Amino acid sequence: MTTTRKLTVNQDIQAQNKRRAAELRSAFSDRGTFVVNLVSSPGAGKTSLLEATAKYWGNRRRIAVLVGDLATDRDADRLRPYVPVEQLTTGGACHLELSLVERGLQRLPDEDYEFLFIENIGNLVCPASHDLAEHLRVVVLSTTEGDDKPGKYPKMFRTSQAMVISKCDLLPHVPFSVDAAITDASLIQRDLSTFPVCSTTGEGIAAWCGFLDDARQRMRNVAGRHQEHVGN
Amino acid sequence: MHEISLVRSLLKQVERLCKQNDGTAVEQIEVEIGPLSGVEPLLVREAFEILSFGTGCAGSRFVIHEVPLKARCSDCQAEFELPSFVFVCSGCQSRAIQITSGNEFRLLNVTIQANQAANIPKPRGGGYETEHIA
Ligand SMILES: [Zn+2]
Repeated sequence: MTTTRKLTVNQDIQAQNKRRAAELRSAFSDRGTFVVNLVSSPGAGKTSLLEATAKYWGNRRRIAVLVGDLATDRDADRLRPYVPVEQLTTGGACHLELSLVERGLQRLPDEDYEFLFIENIGNLVCPASHDLAEHLRVVVLSTTEGDDKPGKYPKMFRTSQAMVISKCDLLPHVPFSVDAAITDASLIQRDLSTFPVCSTTGEGIAAWCGFLDDARQRMRNVAGRHQEHVGN
Repeated sequence: MHEISLVRSLLKQVERLCKQNDGTAVEQIEVEIGPLSGVEPLLVREAFEILSFGTGCAGSRFVIHEVPLKARCSDCQAEFELPSFVFVCSGCQSRAIQITSGNEFRLLNVTIQANQAANIPKPRGGGYETEHIA
């Protein structure tokens, strides 16, 4: 004799992952490591932005990078002269998952970084649905793409807190308006901080790094308050 | 195509639930998907058909409820459905709106066949309830 039973679950399919990401994020906060998840379409200039960021800071900040790549380690090689880098190869998968990030972390030499950058796979769709324990999600939009891209990838722009407009040195030669991109993005996410940069000349990098420092300080203040709470 | 990895974890969760409840077969799986979930219902269905092959979920009914994108305005308190991904209040044009529905990719419920003997509901602390329908 068998019977039919309906089991009510009513739970997010990624509930377990989201819990794990939240735990990891708070461990990063306690350690003072501010985690930045960089997303974009392929070739938007995430690696160049990281190179420029690492050069700008030099030895003044301890930073590390986890580079997601489909198969090669070319991006990781470009960054290695500047900072500790670990490569996360997805073997063709279109996005990074938390388990890969955790594995990459174990291979990094130290753990007292002030900033950990995660360079996601070039894809404006899939990475939007995966929390990698980051404090900040930054979408990189290059001037060689359309300035109406935010509206085409709403989930990605809705879940990001900052937008870097890269390759601004090409603005005189391409049909891209920074204002139009900002307007388009603000219809999706009104609190998006925007940074026009040129990674090759270093233009805009100081403002971008200043923003990251401020964001990390805010995280430290919040983490400090939590610790006091636990201490009491 | 991250639908593949999401559906794979969905199938694992369903199989675990079925086993924990002494199920012998999975009859139906109901999920809900919102337009802002980042997953495409058609691709989710395809992924389900491919990945469920050879698992305990093969041949079960897979029901997808598509939920609308809705928001509440923090300025005028209006609740409304968003016809597109322009996040602006339809009443007062404010951009201070909170999404109330549309982000979800949720497993709602699973209907299983279970042995009569194992029919007594057991609290397992798994965060779900069971309901007898036959
Ligand atoms: Zn309003």
